[in-house]
Amino acid sequence: MSDNIRTVTDATCTFCGCVCDDIVLTVDLDTHSITKSQNACVLGKAWFKEHSIEERPRALIEGREASTEEAVEAAAHILADARFPVVYGLSDTTCEAQRVAVSIADMIGGTIDTTTSVCHGPTGMAFQAGGESTASLGEIRNRADLVIFWGGNPAEAHPRLFARYAVTPKGMYVPNGRKDRTVVLVDVRRTPSTPVADIFLQVKPGSDFEVLWALRALVKGRKVDPSVEQRTGVTLAVLEDLAARMKACRFGVMFFGMGLTMTRGRHFNAGALLALATDLNEFTHFVAAPVRGHGNVTGADNVVSWQTGYPFGVNLSLGYPRFNPGEFTTVDLLVRGEADAALIIASDPASNFPKAAIEHLRRIPVISLDPKSTLTGALSRVAFTTSTYGINVAGTAYRMDNVPLPLRPAFDSPYPSDQEILTAIRARVSELLGGNRLPVGPVGPSPARSAS
Amino acid sequence: MSLEFTQHTLPTVPVEAESLSMASLAGLSAVAAAKLTIVHGNRAAEVGDFFHVAGAPDGEVHISGDLSRVKQVGAGMGAGRLVVHGRAGMHLGTRMTGGEIVVEGDAGDWVGSDMLGGRIIVRGNAGHLVGSAVRGERMGMQGGEILVFGSAGNEVGGGMRRGLVAIGGDTGDFTGVNMFAGTVAVLGRMGARPGAGMKRGTILAMHPAEMLPTFSYACTYRPVFVRLYLAHLRALGFPIADAHMAGPYRRWCGDAIELNRGEVLVLDTNSGTPP
Amino acid sequence: MGSLLRIVNGRVYDPANGIDGEVRDVCVRDGRIVADVPPEARRIDVHGMVVMPGGIDVHCHIAGTKVNLARKVQPEDHRHDVHPRTRITRSGTGGSVPSTFATGYRYAALGYTTAMEAAVTPLGARSTLEELNDTPVLDKGFFVLVGNNVLLFRLLQEGRFEEFRHALAWWLSVTRAYAPKLVNPGADEAWKGHRNANITDLDAKIDPFNLTPRQVIAAFIDAANTLGLPHPVHIHCNNLGHSGNYETTLETMRIAEGRRAHITHIQFHSYGSVAGKSRDNPTSKASEIAEFVNTHPNITADVGAVMFGRSTSMTADAPLAYMLRQFGGHKWINADTEMESGCGIVPFTYQDRVYTNALQWAIGLELFLRSEDPWRMVFSTDHPNGGTFMTYPALIRLLMDREYRKQQMAHVNQLALDHSGLRDCMDREYSLYEIAIITRAGPARLLGLADKGHLGVGADADITIYEENADKEAMFSAPRYLIKDGELVIEDHEFRAEHEGRILHVAPGYDSAIEQVIEPFFEDYYSIRFANYPVHESYLHHHQLVPTVPGTPGAAAT
Repeated sequence: MSDNIRTVTDATCTFCGCVCDDIVLTVDLDTHSITKSQNACVLGKAWFKEHSIEERPRALIEGREASTEEAVEAAAHILADARFPVVYGLSDTTCEAQRVAVSIADMIGGTIDTTTSVCHGPTGMAFQAGGESTASLGEIRNRADLVIFWGGNPAEAHPRLFARYAVTPKGMYVPNGRKDRTVVLVDVRRTPSTPVADIFLQVKPGSDFEVLWALRALVKGRKVDPSVEQRTGVTLAVLEDLAARMKACRFGVMFFGMGLTMTRGRHFNAGALLALATDLNEFTHFVAAPVRGHGNVTGADNVVSWQTGYPFGVNLSLGYPRFNPGEFTTVDLLVRGEADAALIIASDPASNFPKAAIEHLRRIPVISLDPKSTLTGALSRVAFTTSTYGINVAGTAYRMDNVPLPLRPAFDSPYPSDQEILTAIRARVSELLGGNRLPVGPVGPSPARSAS
Repeated sequence: MSLEFTQHTLPTVPVEAESLSMASLAGLSAVAAAKLTIVHGNRAAEVGDFFHVAGAPDGEVHISGDLSRVKQVGAGMGAGRLVVHGRAGMHLGTRMTGGEIVVEGDAGDWVGSDMLGGRIIVRGNAGHLVGSAVRGERMGMQGGEILVFGSAGNEVGGGMRRGLVAIGGDTGDFTGVNMFAGTVAVLGRMGARPGAGMKRGTILAMHPAEMLPTFSYACTYRPVFVRLYLAHLRALGFPIADAHMAGPYRRWCGDAIELNRGEVLVLDTNSGTPP
Repeated sequence: MGSLLRIVNGRVYDPANGIDGEVRDVCVRDGRIVADVPPEARRIDVHGMVVMPGGIDVHCHIAGTKVNLARKVQPEDHRHDVHPRTRITRSGTGGSVPSTFATGYRYAALGYTTAMEAAVTPLGARSTLEELNDTPVLDKGFFVLVGNNVLLFRLLQEGRFEEFRHALAWWLSVTRAYAPKLVNPGADEAWKGHRNANITDLDAKIDPFNLTPRQVIAAFIDAANTLGLPHPVHIHCNNLGHSGNYETTLETMRIAEGRRAHITHIQFHSYGSVAGKSRDNPTSKASEIAEFVNTHPNITADVGAVMFGRSTSMTADAPLAYMLRQFGGHKWINADTEMESGCGIVPFTYQDRVYTNALQWAIGLELFLRSEDPWRMVFSTDHPNGGTFMTYPALIRLLMDREYRKQQMAHVNQLALDHSGLRDCMDREYSLYEIAIITRAGPARLLGLADKGHLGVGADADITIYEENADKEAMFSAPRYLIKDGELVIEDHEFRAEHEGRILHVAPGYDSAIEQVIEPFFEDYYSIRFANYPVHESYLHHHQLVPTVPGTPGAAAT
């Protein structure tokens, strides 16, 4: 290690939705690397350690090295020519970059979508159907005496959720920390998170909806058929006990994750949980908290929402925003072969999308922005190397509970930020199109139908 | 003589074709119809860019081709008859108030979204969300009939307010979810969680289904209205067996989380035996 | 901004300078009103038109985490009200919570040039600024929620009043706020900590604090006055929406004891009750409330009128939102913010046939019509709580056009009208001069914006030009021209240019030693680091720091 060391305090880790902002980074400015990340969990440590500066071409066009200017030109032409382009990704970049991405989608009349559509999109849809009762993480830490984790494995995916926010820390009204809390964990199998729980409910795979539905009925004092035991693997007695605890607590919280949103039932699973938390407010103060994945996916939701009115899967082809998950979400656009170009920012769909979607990505011109070499970059017609948010680039990121936090970069990168590249692309597209594409077709849907 | 559209070019990206509807085509000559604007991706295009148009307007429109990428066919129609000889895309018959749409092949998702009246017939399979509420909206279709001879996906009749949906084949999960009223009839097998959150309304099922724990068995009987509905469906060409007509039906009440005034009627193959 | 304009032949309404419909020139140079411009200045002939300062919305909900939640939860409200892009303007959606670009454009398209976002948590201030930066044309600021702040309560209950004042100044400065906001002061703890309870009595103990709402309100009014803020404490009184709450409102106004205080959306706080029934069939106490405001020059208020149609209730008053849920329908959002505030959202429709809604509508009109000092009873619907800002032209018509008002009264629940005093103040019609006061000059004055709300030399060149029309709703729906900072943003009803407005904020001085009091509290109880809490200047983009004028000796220097 050299003598050229810098310490960054109160740095923000953007690996997962916990967005912990108490990291102390030790940065070796000579080697452009982070040698220590105090307070970070194992995932955060890996995140900080991995992001050193690699020697890579600034840009590639069809696999050969190109200058940033050439690549911007090529990218701009692809986007200006496209009839049904999709702008996707965005969860691992700053809000500032996300705003530019949405403006490009608006300018070219494309679709803007984020990784929410393959993650907590169902939660967003459930939220739209009925709302939700929720709270900031500090509120939960200070007050929650009943903490339920449903369909997630925080010990491995969000390690500090237990330690910093929800299980062990002392709070204003939870002065004894863990001792003042009852922790319940609901999952289809035992995981490294299970030992944390006072009560573990093992439910049969694909039966979370029935369990939540039965709890809703019990909370409301309605009849529940005993067949629920066979269906879910949980006895009525256990459910009745849990319902009673939920009603009796002083401040309850249900954290939930992919175990609900990405299994059969999806937005109905999430909807049932949100509705249960809402129902419980007849008796006590109860909140639900979706546990978000990538660092700034919440920011992506927020930016797309405030700029268009809708959180993800937003189509702008006609000249104004339209929202319809399944119709305008990226996996579906690709699987159906509808998108004719893609701009992918800080995401690697080629590594995790369904096969049919990846095959279509190979057929269309793809522009990608990423600090790292990825499968998506490998199949892109135009690939930009950008710098990493939170490590090289300042800006804003939102924690899973909607709290906006500033990023404190550790060291500079020779590569441009996503925001810079997107801004350059937008400027060139604007020249090519003469500003925004004008609206086409009938403006707006027909007048609203009469209320029944 | 009807107005005939014959597809000569497949769209490369989705087409929004609100103008392929009786409402827009009323009284137009073939030449004028070919000049109507449709949207191809993010560009304006003309009907003639994808279809040859012939014939004269007499209240019937026939469209031949693979329209699986053509959305909103039959949008807002109020009268007349529109036949798609081939596959239809999403949002078939959206906002329609009257008239009849027939699709010889399959149809995409959201058949009859925001529907107020009229009749949609799909001879093949339909996608998800037949007659169902659009995202965030509380209510689905508010009137009319949607008749699918093949199978359909999830959320058939979701949030339905009024009308009839009949599926000749199987349905996916959450059939009749959050129904307010109306009837969903399924001749094949239903997926998981039928009737979840239903307030009122009837789901008519010809095969046993796994009911949510918030539904309770009420009785086994032979309701007259079921025979009337089934006779109607039989007349429309659904394969209604005599056993279907005869019943009896086991009646499940739910959803207890809501008003408990909904019912799922399941054909009882052991006639007369209580549970 | 180097524009040179001379606006000629228009009838000018500039109440701050006593101009009441006089035909006179208005000259603009470099973004400001000037006395004269050279002959090469662009001439805009507005014969037959009315020239006013740009509109100022003193209280609306347009940006921040709460607003964005309300936006996200109602896709069905947006899809019927789309806002297409143009070559130069962004697309968006409308409904009762429009997207940010649509918000800015639509306000401008009604002739507004300044708007104040009414309720922002300190923890969410960054978010509000991001959204405001995507809200075009308007100058804007926000009120920061401090009325349920746990640390401030602790300082108060320990009698540490000076530190309380420094802490308040600190909070205003580091969040980049414009003014301090109290919402249902003291009730947060009951909601979050006592199983969704509420506080209904100004003298009830805010368990576990040794404090009452009365003490809290008094302390804030006092501190704000000492700090010399341009706008005083902005108060959403306790018991909003409850029958009989007018007494709480009168009591709250009395607490001010001659010091400045602003009572917001006062219509929602003007309810009496039918004798013997405390909950059913509230009545109107607009007369009593208006009388108090009329006779106490230290009090300012905005009406918060109700307009029929679809709206969204969004408030930091979480117990209120929960109550509304019973009437509103099937969506409810609750979002607690640690140590600071609550939040509740319920989409809502006001119907003219429903007794309470009709009464609310009538009370709002009554408050306007009974007001003897339009400078201190200004225009608002608490957008979107009482109605969206798109209803402003219709509301203006109701105030100006007695016949139209009568026609509308015939449609509403008549029993509600009987229990209001609206029939007794039917004679009055607002003049254009008075409209210019309640939508421009008055808001500017009570907000302490010396260069806005008037067309005198030195004022910001924010100018709206309307075509005269007997139908006042039509007239105020679509200005012919809108000038912002001297730039022609709307010309002949069309957007000509993109324009980014300024963030207006205050930075009252404080003793930096107060940070040593605040920081340990952060370490113990907040879930973010103290260093990451203050909002960096980079979030401000174009901005204007509005001076504070400390009134009393002993106030810390800036």
